[in-house]
Amino acid sequence: MPRGVDSLDEVINPFVLYAGIALGAVGVLLALPRKGVNPQIVGAVIALGALGLVLVGLGVRAQASGQLPNIYFYLFSAIALGGSLRVITHKRPVYAALYFILTILASAGLYLLLSAEFMAFALIIVYAGAILITYLFVIMLATEAPSEERLEALSDYDLNAREPLLAAGVGFVLLAGLTSMLFSGSVRLPDAETVLAGRNGDEVLIHLPARVEKALLDAGLIQEGEVVARNEVGEGLIDPQARTVTVVPAGSVGLENARQVDFPEGYGAKNVESLAYDFLHRHPGNVEMAGVILLMAMLGAVVLSRRRVEMDEQAKARMSGHLNLEDSP
Amino acid sequence: MMGFMTSLLAQSGYPTPMGVLTLDHYLVVSAIMFTLGLIGFITRRNLIIMFLCTEMMFQAAGIALIAGSRFWLNHTGQSFVVFVLTVAAAEAAMALALVVLLFRRRDSLNADEWSEMKG
Repeated sequence: MPRGVDSLDEVINPFVLYAGIALGAVGVLLALPRKGVNPQIVGAVIALGALGLVLVGLGVRAQASGQLPNIYFYLFSAIALGGSLRVITHKRPVYAALYFILTILASAGLYLLLSAEFMAFALIIVYAGAILITYLFVIMLATEAPSEERLEALSDYDLNAREPLLAAGVGFVLLAGLTSMLFSGSVRLPDAETVLAGRNGDEVLIHLPARVEKALLDAGLIQEGEVVARNEVGEGLIDPQARTVTVVPAGSVGLENARQVDFPEGYGAKNVESLAYDFLHRHPGNVEMAGVILLMAMLGAVVLSRRRVEMDEQAKARMSGHLNLEDSP
Repeated sequence: MMGFMTSLLAQSGYPTPMGVLTLDHYLVVSAIMFTLGLIGFITRRNLIIMFLCTEMMFQAAGIALIAGSRFWLNHTGQSFVVFVLTVAAAEAAMALALVVLLFRRRDSLNADEWSEMKG
């Protein structure tokens, strides 16, 4: 049974945590690009070793209390974090963007493990399919043309990291602060009963009495001729917290012959249904706000690129002038 | 060893309460990804990679939100990630339009080229 955690020591051995973070800082520092001697592979190995150390340290305590995450968690998080390390250390922007796609796909895997199917697919479609393609186009548009003799040449600013020591130090001190604050019980997390009392995923079923009826029939919990009781606006008398349904004989008025039936084992609303319900029922204003944000971004992009079009048209006028002179007999 | 493997593969089916320690695993991954994004934003000089790193920080926030949503068994965290995606898409459109403009001006993606803007 999960309970609140009170101190860092209950989650991970503090020595393992801070040793892992220090080791990770050294690894990232070595992996950042710089001129001259460049031990990028050594740095990457050290950083991944540090990640493994922290995850094993977490796993030891989690196994002791039976709360170990799924094995795919380790797979996907290793891919995601290895990909993000490569994003910040690769010298060529195109490869950095491709490694970011890898990170996105692994994060989508983590979302699936957390039973957020809709968001996992939305992530792949929106991020990997739209945003990253835009990035790749811009990398194509905004790259200095390589000269004839040095096709493989990289620009100077891609080869040299700015302040790698300071950045790695500050970044990993931030990470140490974040993790110790998370684990040291500055916020006491609720136990399973409180969590179950706050769950809202099945509330959408109140509006879908016919579906609940069919599930109950299929599970053999009600007979033909029994229906889910409905109130005057057609909502089912369903208690999503207690996971019970009130059923009445078909055609009866009132609740004299009503009885309570439990949900079938493992039955619940689907992720897309409950997410859509949460989205449109609880936060309708936010949907409008998201629309305004996207509209503003679209207007901004149009305004920014208008200048480019004007420049292009001047250039075009010059070009067409040339052509006309040459073409006219 | 077999018991270890079965406990690793045991989570499936209808969502049941997730342990606090399992939640911590996801939060650690999210914190590490955020830190990597931050380090990349500070150290890299290429404007496009700097914006990629901000997207990575958005992504880390998304993992933390989804893990919280799974832990509390409600969908508020998931619907919040929709807005993270919205803001990321809006930011990418604007930032990349700016990057193309800046590149046409100076013929370089080096962020230090624009250091006179620090005022």
